[in-house]
Amino acid sequence: MRLLTERLATDLRDLWTDEDTVEFQIDGARNIEVLRLLKEAPELDFFMLADAAAVDYGPGERFEVVYHLYSSKHPAWLRVRAHLDRGDPIVPTVTGLWEGAMFHEREMYDMMGIVFEGNRDLRRIYMSPDYRSFPQRRDFVLPDDAADSPAAGVNPLERPETWDLARFRDATDTSQPR
Amino acid sequence: MTTIDRDTRIPDPIELDLAEEERLRAAAGLLPVRSAAGEYAGFDQVGLPDRPPQTEREREVYTLEEGEMLVNMGPQHPSTHGVMRLVVKVRGEIIVDIDPVLGYLHRGIEKLCENATYTTVLTYVDPMDYLSTMHNEHAPAIAFEKLYGVEVPKRAEYIRALVVELERVSSHGLMMGFLALDMGGLTPILYAFINRDEIVDIQSAISGQRMLFNFFRVGGVNFDTNDEFLSRLGTWRSRVMKNIEMNERMITDNEIFRGRTIGMGILSGADAISLGVTGPNLRASGVAFDVRKAHPYSIYNELEFDVITQTSGDSYARYLQRIAEIKQSIHLIDQIVDKMPHGPVQAQVPGIIRPKPGRSYAAIESPRGLYSVYAISDGGPNPYRFRMRDPSFISLQAIPKIMPGKLVADTMAVMASFDPVMGGVDK
Repeated sequence: MRLLTERLATDLRDLWTDEDTVEFQIDGARNIEVLRLLKEAPELDFFMLADAAAVDYGPGERFEVVYHLYSSKHPAWLRVRAHLDRGDPIVPTVTGLWEGAMFHEREMYDMMGIVFEGNRDLRRIYMSPDYRSFPQRRDFVLPDDAADSPAAGVNPLERPETWDLARFRDATDTSQPR
Repeated sequence: MTTIDRDTRIPDPIELDLAEEERLRAAAGLLPVRSAAGEYAGFDQVGLPDRPPQTEREREVYTLEEGEMLVNMGPQHPSTHGVMRLVVKVRGEIIVDIDPVLGYLHRGIEKLCENATYTTVLTYVDPMDYLSTMHNEHAPAIAFEKLYGVEVPKRAEYIRALVVELERVSSHGLMMGFLALDMGGLTPILYAFINRDEIVDIQSAISGQRMLFNFFRVGGVNFDTNDEFLSRLGTWRSRVMKNIEMNERMITDNEIFRGRTIGMGILSGADAISLGVTGPNLRASGVAFDVRKAHPYSIYNELEFDVITQTSGDSYARYLQRIAEIKQSIHLIDQIVDKMPHGPVQAQVPGIIRPKPGRSYAAIESPRGLYSVYAISDGGPNPYRFRMRDPSFISLQAIPKIMPGKLVADTMAVMASFDPVMGGVDK
């Protein structure tokens, strides 16, 4: 904790801990510098990228790319939450630090539409290459015929009359890959 | 006699359809099926995608030089262990590059879980990594317990560790068989399935299911141990070592097996860490990282065990690592049964859980490596975000890294030594 505040004084926000996790938030554009320091500073030594995931906090809010790091010198998982502008979700890639971040980043691009600048292979990984939407965003609505199912009306997704389709169209328009 | 006028070509009906399709695709804002001429080398060769490359890496893989050829392995290849396609660029018998194509089994489990209550999430994650179902339930259960702040009874923790270690024995035992199967040895897989079936019977005695157990609950487990479970466990324990050693004798010193695994697919420890490879594959490369030791969860800090590692990092080391871990797990099961306390197996938890807004991260050691869950609650009955890191998905990245320069026939043998499960890879 003390080490983190010393070394990352300018970048670190909202330091927070629970029983086995230390968490702080950074600006997305600074993720390479922060993660490189965490990985390469000998007294920190967070050498392993345990997980990288994207979180969508909904329209008008923000995206977060969440990195979980492991260090043999510290007893807690380290969670780095990098904030991104939801309208312009671009963040530098960390594949230069961990090659294995490639599949994480391809998945985040596929599911959330986050563009990783400098990634050599930013293709869709699960969906087909001509798919044009990002299914794990909060404003993604399934335009299918779920309303015909026996359980119609139980889930908001199955009540098309409640869908704000104008918003859905706008959302898909702004979410085209660049 | 008719003469063919070569200048006036009658339009091919297929060509017309293609033009129409192009027009429709352009109207729908899709990428063209055919790009401008010269954009894409070797367009009409089998295996090339029907669109221009989207990234630098894709262009690199799908641009062929003289003497190179693309071969599809899968999606229905018998030894891809599920539905996966490897696009293999070969020069004769030598592999030049590999591009894994995933997503054939993608079910959107994360999205499903975000629309399910915390209790029902534990049923949705079962079919992810279908050879280690108990592990799949373990990580979200821990994450949700942290979110909700519920204390799990000691006996429930011991039963969890017991079924989880049983699952590890069955999964690793099956890997031994599959590895031999991919090298043409049919017998070991039959014995491996006999051993697995015994474990499946034990687990069905306690959970009522044979594969998708739905056994874990937030705050405990579904059932306490019963007589059938204990008697089957005892019978299994009395002969498991003999069975494993018999299977081991059949494979370990087999000359063909050794010839096709020793020195194959060598992955160095530094590379493995960089690629995100975890679990037995990482330990076979000499890195002593085991989540059970690094971040003890459940009751693992009360049990005695060491992190086993190998040194060589080849397929054979990965195989030996599995055998060592099977024996270690059996040793752990002995300790768990020995120490198991009495008491309740389920904490008092309401049917629909509404945790306070917050975040939690839980990582466990599954038979394939670090399996973790990152869950966010917004105070409602469903997780706001439910993220799973599946170890075999990330470990797959090692295949394109280590295979170039090797023979095509060894691709599957090396892949089997990583033991990926496509249900987990594709989520």
